[in-house]
Amino acid sequence: MTAVDRRTFLKQAAMASASAAAASMVPGVTFGAELHDYLEGFAAPSDVTWHKTPCRFCGVGCGLQVAIEDGRAVAVRGDPDSPVNRGLACVKGYHSVQALYGRDRLTRARVRRNGEFVDVPIQEALDLIADRLRETIEETGKDSVAMYGSGQWTIPDGYVASKFFKGGIGTNNLEANARLCMSSAVTGFMTSFGMDEPMGCYEDIDHADVFVLWGNNMSEMHPVLFSRMLKERDRRPDVRIIDLATRTTRTSYAADRSILFTPQADLAIANGICHEIVRRGWADREFVDRYVTFKEGRTGIGYGLEDDFSFSDRATDASWSDFVEFLDDYTPERVEEISGVPASEIRWLASLYGDPSRKVMSFWCMGMNQHTRGTWINNLVYNIHLLTGKIATPGNSPFSLTGQPSACGTVREVGTLTHKLPYGDVTDPEAREKAAEIWGVPVENIDPEPTHHTVSMFRALDRGDIRFIWIQVTNPMVTMPHLNRYRDGAEKDGRFIVVSDVYPTPTTDVADVILPAAMWIEREGLFGNSERRTQHFQQLLEPPGDAMSDTWQLIEVARRLGYEELFPWSYQDHIDGIWAEYIRFHDSPDHRMAPLAELRQRPGIIWPYVDGQETKWRYNTETDPAADPARGAFDFYGKPDHRAWIWLRPYEPPPEWPDEEYPFWLNTGRVLEHWHSGSMTRRIPTLHRAVPGAYVEIHPADARALGIGEGERVRLVTRRGSLELPARIEFRAQPPRGQVFVPFFDETLLVNELTLDAYCPISAQPDYKKCAVRVERIGVE
Amino acid sequence: MARQAPLLTRTLAIGLAAVAMLLGVAVVVPALLDWRAGPDLPPVTRMASPGEPIPAEALAFRIRPGDLSVPLDAEPREGARPRTMEAYRSLRAYPGAPPRIPHEVSPEQSRANLCNACHAGGGYVPRFGAYTPVTPHPEFSDCLQCHVPDAGAVGAGLAAVPTDLSGVGWAPTDWVPSEWPELDQRAMPGSPLWIPHELRLRENCLACHAGPSAVEELRTTHPDRTDCRSCHMPLVTEEPTFTRPLARSTGGDS
Repeated sequence: MTAVDRRTFLKQAAMASASAAAASMVPGVTFGAELHDYLEGFAAPSDVTWHKTPCRFCGVGCGLQVAIEDGRAVAVRGDPDSPVNRGLACVKGYHSVQALYGRDRLTRARVRRNGEFVDVPIQEALDLIADRLRETIEETGKDSVAMYGSGQWTIPDGYVASKFFKGGIGTNNLEANARLCMSSAVTGFMTSFGMDEPMGCYEDIDHADVFVLWGNNMSEMHPVLFSRMLKERDRRPDVRIIDLATRTTRTSYAADRSILFTPQADLAIANGICHEIVRRGWADREFVDRYVTFKEGRTGIGYGLEDDFSFSDRATDASWSDFVEFLDDYTPERVEEISGVPASEIRWLASLYGDPSRKVMSFWCMGMNQHTRGTWINNLVYNIHLLTGKIATPGNSPFSLTGQPSACGTVREVGTLTHKLPYGDVTDPEAREKAAEIWGVPVENIDPEPTHHTVSMFRALDRGDIRFIWIQVTNPMVTMPHLNRYRDGAEKDGRFIVVSDVYPTPTTDVADVILPAAMWIEREGLFGNSERRTQHFQQLLEPPGDAMSDTWQLIEVARRLGYEELFPWSYQDHIDGIWAEYIRFHDSPDHRMAPLAELRQRPGIIWPYVDGQETKWRYNTETDPAADPARGAFDFYGKPDHRAWIWLRPYEPPPEWPDEEYPFWLNTGRVLEHWHSGSMTRRIPTLHRAVPGAYVEIHPADARALGIGEGERVRLVTRRGSLELPARIEFRAQPPRGQVFVPFFDETLLVNELTLDAYCPISAQPDYKKCAVRVERIGVE
Repeated sequence: MARQAPLLTRTLAIGLAAVAMLLGVAVVVPALLDWRAGPDLPPVTRMASPGEPIPAEALAFRIRPGDLSVPLDAEPREGARPRTMEAYRSLRAYPGAPPRIPHEVSPEQSRANLCNACHAGGGYVPRFGAYTPVTPHPEFSDCLQCHVPDAGAVGAGLAAVPTDLSGVGWAPTDWVPSEWPELDQRAMPGSPLWIPHELRLRENCLACHAGPSAVEELRTTHPDRTDCRSCHMPLVTEEPTFTRPLARSTGGDS
């Protein structure tokens, strides 16, 4: 393969370093200044150079600086010039570069022959992939091949995948792990505002007086933003942090108030808050009359558990009085019955949202998104902000966080989902025309019908409707819910599975071809974080062995299938070429993106980027160039009526509820130290040594009742599988009585063999947070 | 029968407490929550969730600005006797042992468990010319069950305590403590220090690592960051990383 030549590399590296030095003289950096000074003081040999990059891990998108010495990454510091983290990082970011050097890094392509993997030159593996892809399309049709990526894809990876599969092959079998992380956030935005991604930005933290965390253990999952919040509370003693959750965590202990609720009851709580706001007369009626429309959707919408399940919502008009009547069902006392949260707490929350003198920020991530009514609960939290007019102004900000570094940048903005194109939906003729024109393909190439969302795609693989799947930068054989079914499906005869990754994983175990991937700063790329910030990183290191970027792997295979004209770039200029082409999709004031030359120099730029200005608050006519001042202070231009939509969404129970046979709730999630399925962080000594394996958290009273001691092995049993693992009663977080929690990072203890593949019918995002489980004592062995 | 009596007493006490609480709720809560004049905050409680505290985390955020007598970023005053590493170690039989008390504890103080009056909040003590160390676990009040005064200590022991205590009537011993951990352990230059000790009873990092009473070598450069364990990790296993076989053998075709 052609890599960037050493001279270009050194030149680019020198430029990046110079820009970082120049930027560090910019005043106003306070958050991380002392750490920066401290690091400046540590003895850095003169041949060490520092280079900016976004962090490889979560969706916060911290700016890092990486020290390179003799072609190796040797140290990391937080980038003081990044407005995201202002010099701070978390333990994962500080140790991130060690993930590049795990001893079992994949460096050669491997092909399965007679059940055993054999090393082959990467070009041979790419030939084989192209042959099988062509044969499968010829034999069983274009919709029997599929691509599955993730929010860890760089923007160029996702863009090339979309162009190849949707523009070239002409199938909408393109999905990403982000479907499992944030598709409810997307459908929430689309149904409430008609446009995806937050209206505000992290700077809201500097202005808000009250932070309400909806099922969001920020201290562990978005630690740097949490530290910014704690810092604000130290600076302004009136700031309040409220942790509204189903489990007591580090975040609860740091919060001013921890409120625990019954799983799924967030729907009732949000409606209860609105009920109280309306009853007390705290609604901003002027804002509502001018900028809001009321809508009602379908109810009793199911859970997607059947293979042939399908659903489409229908919005019908509603009015203020319909809304008030709808809220009658959600008196604080009634909400207390559903949620277990005292009515007084509901009233108190309403008073915070309703107080016109307080700016309120709501944060959420997987708790609301991984939810069989994920779209609804997103709508309902927007309802609170719309009802009080606390939106799209500094500090008034409903903020949907993401879990992956480029879930926004790649999956949501490029649109690597079955129904999406880089601009608009496949069902929209104008969007197809636009894509066909920019891609230079006949418009008929682009299929107007969406095919499979992620769960449906893996069900199709199991049934044999999909026979070829290429998986890049993600680990579905750890992360799919109801995993046994999908692993059995992947292992069936007649399935051809290609996996591009950096380490062996349970997903490479089921592969027919494994491609070694260049990771993070071993290639040039771009991410997009939770606050619409696009972040560029330069290639700083040579990838090991035959490892190749995901972008370039896709281009190599596409060319072998005859799509040379779609991918005309050389390795040296392909990122420039891809970016220049991609941003044509977003060339309007509501989404314009910064040119690459500027992105190379700066620690990220927020879109819409119009006339050299970032748009920090969308829909606000003072700050958003796409918003029309003639409409007043706000213009919710994503909807045809230029209004945001308040949805009348009821409480509906989850599909599985603890019963006599399975008496506990099972919740799953992450821990601070490990990122996603752990394939990288478990190769980082500091992180692995801090949390070496999975465990089940049990409330001390439940443990006593079952006779389970700290560290004893227990067996968890659900209708889908069973798992033996150690009990932790006094570790970090504590579920309430009747609930247990298991982190999913440990591939040797796969909790997803137990989880349920029910999903939100609107977003198709599964609910990993709630199913029924039995806890059995195994005892001391 | 002997065991039942205290149980009965306890049940009664709990019952009385419950009645008192219900009364309190019935009277106080409506008064707080009925805001005819508009919304206001009821008193903030740190923890509304029931359940027992979790040793590893529950107190991680205990110290907040205003909780201590001296701000965490304050420089020690001129002439204050510094708390030295040598004194810190000499008061502990081994790394992690509860420190002995290097000053006199009067019988009155001892009976009333007054330690927390000084050690919960810290601050400068003119009598000793030094800053009071802050306890990381002020939720305990029976301090003397773990911390004992040195025989004859009257405050002079704030400097290093001699390890050879035979002079005060102690029997000689062959006790050899475990090694003190190195202070500067980290993965890479500039990366966050590891936590080289157990966290039990020492969940609150700032108590010992910030403020003018902290041993200088142990004092953090950034006491304003209160979520310490978002960067600093204890290491609980010697195994350096997760390792797995290259591939599980599967029934995959090809």
